Amino acid sequence: MKRVYDVVVVGAGHAGVETAHAAATVGCSVALCTLSRETVAQMPCNPAVGGTAKGHLVREIDALGGLMGRAIDATGIQFKLLNRSRGPAVWSPRAQADKRRYSEWMRRRLDAMPGIEWVVGRVGRVAVSGQAARGVELEDGTPVWGRSVVVTTGTFLNGLIHVGPETRPAGRLGEPASIQLGESLRALGLVWGRLKTGTPPRLAKGSIEYDGLKEERGDAEPVPFSFSTGRVEREQVLCHIIHTGDKAHGLVRKHLAESPLYNGQIQGIGPRYCPSLEDKVMRFPERERHQLFLEPEGVDVEEVYLSGCSMSLPASVQERIVRSLPGLSQAEMLRPGYAVEYDFIQPTELARTLETKRIRGLFLAGQVNGTSGYEEAAGQGLVAGVNAARQVRGEGKFVLSRAEAYLGVMVDDLTTGGCLEPYRMFTSRAEHRLLLRIDNADLRLTPRGREVGLVGDLAWERFGARQGRHERNLARVRAGRVRDGARTVELTQVLRRPGVSLAGLASEGAVQVETGPGPEMVELSSVETEVKYEGYLRRQEATVARQRRDERRRIPSGFPFDRVPGLSREVQERLTGVGPATLGQAARVPGVTPAAVAVLGAYVKRWGGWIEA
Amino acid sequence: MFSSDDTIVALATPRGRGGLGVVRLSGAQAQDVAQALLGRATVLEARRATVTTLMDGVGGRRRAIDEVVATLFPGPGSYTGEDVVEVSAHGSPVLLDRIVALALAAGARLAEPGEFTFRAFLHGRLDLVQAEAVADLIEAVTPRQARVAFDQLEGTMTARIAALDEQLFDLTMRLEASLDFPEEGYHFITPAEVAEGIAVVRGKIEETLTEASQGRLVREGCQVVILGTPNVGKSSIFNALLGSSRSIVAGQPGTTRDLVTERLDVDGLAVTLVDSAGLRPATDLVEEEGVARARGAVGVASVALVVLDRSRAWSEAELQALREADEVPRVVAVNKVDLPAAWQPREFEVPDGVEVVEVSAATGEGLVRLRSALVQALGGGRAVARQSGGGKPSACEIVGAGGGGAGGCREERGPGCGGGVRAGGYGAGEDDVRGIDREPYAGPGAGADLRTVLHR
Repeated sequence: MKRVYDVVVVGAGHAGVETAHAAATVGCSVALCTLSRETVAQMPCNPAVGGTAKGHLVREIDALGGLMGRAIDATGIQFKLLNRSRGPAVWSPRAQADKRRYSEWMRRRLDAMPGIEWVVGRVGRVAVSGQAARGVELEDGTPVWGRSVVVTTGTFLNGLIHVGPETRPAGRLGEPASIQLGESLRALGLVWGRLKTGTPPRLAKGSIEYDGLKEERGDAEPVPFSFSTGRVEREQVLCHIIHTGDKAHGLVRKHLAESPLYNGQIQGIGPRYCPSLEDKVMRFPERERHQLFLEPEGVDVEEVYLSGCSMSLPASVQERIVRSLPGLSQAEMLRPGYAVEYDFIQPTELARTLETKRIRGLFLAGQVNGTSGYEEAAGQGLVAGVNAARQVRGEGKFVLSRAEAYLGVMVDDLTTGGCLEPYRMFTSRAEHRLLLRIDNADLRLTPRGREVGLVGDLAWERFGARQGRHERNLARVRAGRVRDGARTVELTQVLRRPGVSLAGLASEGAVQVETGPGPEMVELSSVETEVKYEGYLRRQEATVARQRRDERRRIPSGFPFDRVPGLSREVQERLTGVGPATLGQAARVPGVTPAAVAVLGAYVKRWGGWIEA
Repeated sequence: MFSSDDTIVALATPRGRGGLGVVRLSGAQAQDVAQALLGRATVLEARRATVTTLMDGVGGRRRAIDEVVATLFPGPGSYTGEDVVEVSAHGSPVLLDRIVALALAAGARLAEPGEFTFRAFLHGRLDLVQAEAVADLIEAVTPRQARVAFDQLEGTMTARIAALDEQLFDLTMRLEASLDFPEEGYHFITPAEVAEGIAVVRGKIEETLTEASQGRLVREGCQVVILGTPNVGKSSIFNALLGSSRSIVAGQPGTTRDLVTERLDVDGLAVTLVDSAGLRPATDLVEEEGVARARGAVGVASVALVVLDRSRAWSEAELQALREADEVPRVVAVNKVDLPAAWQPREFEVPDGVEVVEVSAATGEGLVRLRSALVQALGGGRAVARQSGGGKPSACEIVGAGGGGAGGCREERGPGCGGGVRAGGYGAGEDDVRGIDREPYAGPGAGADLRTVLHR
């Protein structure tokens, strides 16, 4: 009898590991296909996790029971809470990883899960029959049968690496691309496109002259990503800041014709917010210098990442540019920067479970869906893993809303708007940003994670304690009164004043607060924000409640958008392309006006009536 | 976001007496509601005017109360994008109110102001600003107003608001960028730049608001209230100015108990002419109410037209009528000059800026001069659309006549001066149309502080 796995995962990058972990945690048998067990959860670009909005994603993954937060807490070598001086909604943790240890941590973690079996080999095609996924077939013909398939192939689909005029098919530097798999997916009729991204050169640590370079330290008290981490124990490292100058800019201009970005060699669309050095110089000619970071890729590795300096010029030109920079006159370039072009599947092909609409049981997650970044990939991996598992077990869909999580915002953005350029998470993408904070990610999502079986007993118990502390703290603050000069005033009134913090009030003895093993600042922020921003929070909640009504108005699948009179042809085409599942989602499809939604609403009702979910 | 499922009804024509009045229904049940109101045999065809009867009462007591014309405009091709039925009935306010009430009883809901246009907007028939401008176009009763309204329809206002939106978007974008890219090592925006950006937008919003309120004077026009003791001929003058008989005119004092209003074009300015009950101690409650309303109308009037009767003896009541209006610019019409005179206007001293015109509503004598005097009192009629650089009217300005209005009046007073239009006339001709650096519209009030009323 042939072995049939519940979930076959293609790729063991940041998306794939979360998919495999989530599916196995809820009790599914998982085949995890990878080219090599040495490259699990690799960081081929910046060896860092988090950053604005991305840090939020990691907190959410952790709150739901995913791996990424714990992995980076265990292997991070420089932690920083960004936007500390701004409001709590945009506080965001970032950490540099010891990338080798990060990868090892993930591999060990998955090794320890009995439900996961590794399949080392190159997947050639997805096996489909009767419009349903049946597993995959390796390029050597070996079948891996599955009840569902999750494809997380990152930049490997028809990957093409550019270094100056040289190009070679590759998924990452030194690893061959997946040509057959790309063709297999296209043959299924999935709409695809081509994107591009890039990475900077790696330098040898011993060849860098650090004296005189500006030091960049992490936070003295690192704020961990995971709700389960009390303290970050690992030794922290220094980074350094340098700037480009005339000489480097001059070299870029002089050799621009050799840059595949500027001579037409590259067709894919790159991320605007992560510009290459060529783009920085050409698009911002008024700027005399650009900031770069020298970031070690680990505590005991030789490679240093030249952050902010991605380029695809010929290696010899890159070397001259690097050597024009402060502290790098003798620098040895271990490998040049490069650009990689790859195919992605237009995520409007996906439902909000990340299952393809065309093929039942076929899910896609990560960079293959047009996103950029490890965190975006990991978040999708978790969503796809849970949904693949639930589908196999005949359980309901796991969909997070925009008001619930950045993960919900991301999946909705992708499946509604598609990708015109690599999609990166930003806090500005979340209209309910004030509700989606790092401090309350557990309060928002841990119960959801528990519901679907991702949150184990230990974590659930810990969450119960934390929730209890939060509620008691909030009650004490709301009941508290303090002397203010001659009179007694409510504590909430004092706490709402600018510059007054709950920690401060607690240290003065104005109120007693309980904190857990994690950082006090973050834990108390849940209480403080609830009081300080109460009016705004209630307003956002009211908006959310209004929008929920439209989210409940489901559009039956197969609804003929092209037959709704009064909609322009353009709107009809866009709606047909996206196939929104609710009226709320239809309203978010680019180019769809409120008037069009009103008309659509009327016709959906006429066509078959609302299905109030 | 969505229009509700209910059907709305409202009077689509201005309230008041008119030849015809239109009641409009819009919504999914518009046809059903209309059918409930109309004679049983009525078959409404799309876009075809159908003559039928309008029925009141139920069962055996159902009877026809008017002969009407009903027209069905099926959605989405109608004005609102929904099914619309328009019922044209005879223009009696009582009848029209009854039709609306019957529609309500048949399941419609009274429309909120502007709700028809709002539904048109919801159904993608109009953008928001265009919707407002269409409402203005429907309201427009003079060509000048129509031009201002058309300008908005063309999208000048839309473009202005879009420009503001763009600036705010840019500010937001840079603020968001500073939150999303805290590590880039440069400032997307400084606090000072934020403050400055907001100040600029604020200034432009205030500028737009100011212009809009000036536009409102053209759009909403001004009110001229006719005052006077009973039976001096107020309604006759009202009708004479309109050129048609609207008010009930009778020789019995106290005939006009309610305020009767009508819109007319006086030199390009939309004027709402208000006929009032005669000012005298009321003899019954209804009349008392009418007098109270007349006094209320003076409070919001741009100009009071005080009517005196030259054919009967002067009394304290006439003085009282003049005092009623001493807060607003006044024009005095000395009526019934076709009859033997009981007194002469020249026997009175006239305060600065108060125009005295001798007229006969019965023969039409002096009416042209009366109109001119009204125009002058309203600010010389120079309420104009400002010419923008492109030569296209962009924003509306009302240009006042300066302080004086009919300045110089006193110097020219003399024997016989009561008979004609004062010197000064229009003050300035069309050349002065762009004299926008003058005072905004204030009327000739500065010259009419009325320390004294007419006295012997």
